[in-house]
Amino acid sequence: MTDLLIIGAGLSGLLAGVWARRQGLRTRIAATGLGATHWHAGTIDALGYLPGEDAPVRSPFAALTRLTAARPGHPYALTGEAGLREALAAFRALLDELGLPYGGAANPDENLLLPSPAGAPRPVYLAPAAQLAGDMSRPEPYLLVGFQALRDFYPTVIAENLTKLGFRSRAEFLPIELITDRRDFSTIDLARAMDSADLSRLANALKRVAAPGERIGLPAILGLRRHGQIIAALREAVGAPIFEIPTLPPSVPGLRLTTVLREHFERDLHGRLDLGMTVIDFRAEAGRVTWVASRASARPVRHRARRFLLATGGILGGGFHSEPRGRVWETIFDLPLTAPQKRSRWFRPDFLAPEGHPVFRGGVRVGPDFRPLTLAGEPAFENLWAAGNLLADSDPISERSLEGVAIATALAAVTSLIKTDV
Amino acid sequence: MFNADTWLPPEASLDQCIKCNICVSYCPVAEATDFFPGPKYAGPQAQRFRMAGQPAPDLSVDYCSGCRVCNEVCPNDVNIMEMNARARAALVAEKGIPLRNRLLGRNELMGKVGSHAPRLANFALHNPVSRVAADAIFGIAKEAPLPRWSTTGTFVDWWEKHYPHRLISDKKVVYFHGCATMYYEPFIGKAAVAVLEHMGYEVIVPPQNCCGLPMLSNGEFKAAGKLYDNNLRKLGPLAAEGYDIVGTSTSCTLTLKEEAPHLLDRHDETTQALTHAVWDIFEWIREHEDELPRDFIQMEMVIPYHPPCQYRAHRVGRPSMDVLALIPGVEVHESHARCCGIAGTYGYKKEKYDIAMKVGQELFSFILEEEEHHHTEFNACDSETCRWQIEHGTGQESRHPIEILAAAYGLYDLETRTTL
Repeated sequence: MTDLLIIGAGLSGLLAGVWARRQGLRTRIAATGLGATHWHAGTIDALGYLPGEDAPVRSPFAALTRLTAARPGHPYALTGEAGLREALAAFRALLDELGLPYGGAANPDENLLLPSPAGAPRPVYLAPAAQLAGDMSRPEPYLLVGFQALRDFYPTVIAENLTKLGFRSRAEFLPIELITDRRDFSTIDLARAMDSADLSRLANALKRVAAPGERIGLPAILGLRRHGQIIAALREAVGAPIFEIPTLPPSVPGLRLTTVLREHFERDLHGRLDLGMTVIDFRAEAGRVTWVASRASARPVRHRARRFLLATGGILGGGFHSEPRGRVWETIFDLPLTAPQKRSRWFRPDFLAPEGHPVFRGGVRVGPDFRPLTLAGEPAFENLWAAGNLLADSDPISERSLEGVAIATALAAVTSLIKTDV
Repeated sequence: MFNADTWLPPEASLDQCIKCNICVSYCPVAEATDFFPGPKYAGPQAQRFRMAGQPAPDLSVDYCSGCRVCNEVCPNDVNIMEMNARARAALVAEKGIPLRNRLLGRNELMGKVGSHAPRLANFALHNPVSRVAADAIFGIAKEAPLPRWSTTGTFVDWWEKHYPHRLISDKKVVYFHGCATMYYEPFIGKAAVAVLEHMGYEVIVPPQNCCGLPMLSNGEFKAAGKLYDNNLRKLGPLAAEGYDIVGTSTSCTLTLKEEAPHLLDRHDETTQALTHAVWDIFEWIREHEDELPRDFIQMEMVIPYHPPCQYRAHRVGRPSMDVLALIPGVEVHESHARCCGIAGTYGYKKEKYDIAMKVGQELFSFILEEEEHHHTEFNACDSETCRWQIEHGTGQESRHPIEILAAAYGLYDLETRTTL
């Protein structure tokens, strides 16, 4: 008998799987497909902006009371500051162990500012070690190096925008043949090519274009399997700080993150992960979910488990669905959602409104133990928990809190469901 | 809520594509070659330029191997592989089909012809001179792992001899053997019958024909439709009577269940009854786990196992692993590899052979590492062409999980592939 069936293989689903498996639970993950990490920057954004404010948040922890005052149902109000800190520390320790280290600002209470793919400052709480030298509080001038024919990285745009912000920056282009002979490639292809490329050619080319004292920003393509060794070897050969800037999707940093978590879950912890399994139905008896069923060829497949964790994501992840005329619903259990039911109320008139758009804040309301609630405020099912960006009241886009919410609620939900006797 | 039977035609599902590029990140073919730009480009993106009566906007879709890894990782249920298969069929309709692809699509005919004089056929096909000629004339890669005809008769030859001695029971199940078991590997069918009879089932082997997959993947939809109709005529009445139909070739069962009806737009009641009756044999055994005898012999073996991409496309999990795990002493190690590369007939094509071998590399490395660490003798895989490709890529012999299950009951010799 499965102790825990997690529905969803995004960041919260995978982390919940790892943490539950490490606690000895027989854990399975079933998901339609893979998650939002693949089109995000691979950074861990805990809280970058407060609703309605233009200036980025300096310390996500110090800003927490103001956030939860404005949004009392926010998942961080449930985890509390301690819960958020604990989860971020647990994530960092896990990724150290898995050989994909993450780091943050010198002051562990504060965000970093990193240059975005457009050269704008991005508030980030934790970043892959490879991105850290981009920290905008460091003094070195920027040299942004792109590759000819790479369509998903624009060093001149980054350099121009950084210059406008007062950072000394310039851009250079190198021939793509330093990395690959292919005529057509994605950033993932380049990262794979880097795994076996002769690094000395690239290092020599970088030495030629770099001026003393500059730090070098490259597109995030510096290897997949051998990423750690590659970046260390390049830094040593060039003798300058080298860092990655995320590109347009596909996101190599996101793929690295998913890959280490997935391989750890499947290979080290012997957890079962099934993709292509869209859960479409369930059965509940006496207030308990007994099975869920996923769509399959010819006939749905039933999955029985003692506990279920819903981590299907927000409106982009596929946790909700809507009809053209309005009505938006949670796709599996039809749990009540806080999203406005009328499409005319989904969005504010201003696309970039700093308050964000109401539909992105919509979600499933959960109790302090992370079980979804009915409209009457009771747990909907005794053995159903929820985590991730499906939860109500956080707006991952305008708050820049996507990964923080995923990590903090995954740990909180796993802690709660392990404690609960079912 | 979704309706379980709702299926969006691929052309409509393209609107669900959010261009997240996850499919591009995992496509094993795009990784191996730049002749294929990736599922997003050849699929949903090119689809917007494909209009009835207009010339095909790009030819790269022919390099899609049809492995469905894109469908598997897509977070939005876009039917990318089906989109590509239909686009290839449109290409074939527009530009015609090479003789080579016609031949590869007609594996049943080849099987039948060769089985009249299997030794001669094996010699004719497998001697180096004819492989070089086939390579030069037809474009069938000279290194590719073509099968050998059974020299001990076809599966049905054996079945006719076994028929008087078959188990008679109230519990009955229909067996779909497919072309490979029929002409090349009758021992797979014997192992299946042995296990099903051991479970107390009377096995019915009705007349049947090729499922049509080789033609579907070579873009010959019309001919594939005829094959499907023939099977519908032969198997439909059994399905209507409520019999389950189990198959040992996982791509055949997938084709009968889903691929052919979806690609050919068959949604009538008779087709639905057939699709609902068909099971992959391990999917069916897992469903009937309480009827599975537990008189296993102790096996003491590590089995590297590759769930083929066509199996994963059933979206039923890993039934073979679940069932083999019940055998005492058996430790099944999953490959976690995306695809062996062969993808039905893809890797037989001269211009695609190298791509297929590159795609298979992650699987081959896994099998060889397992061999080194655990001194494994066999690996296991549910699909025949994948087994041939794995043997070709690693030199290690490959078995169908049903052979291992039959051996665990003492009914089968894994070494000689004979029933005991």
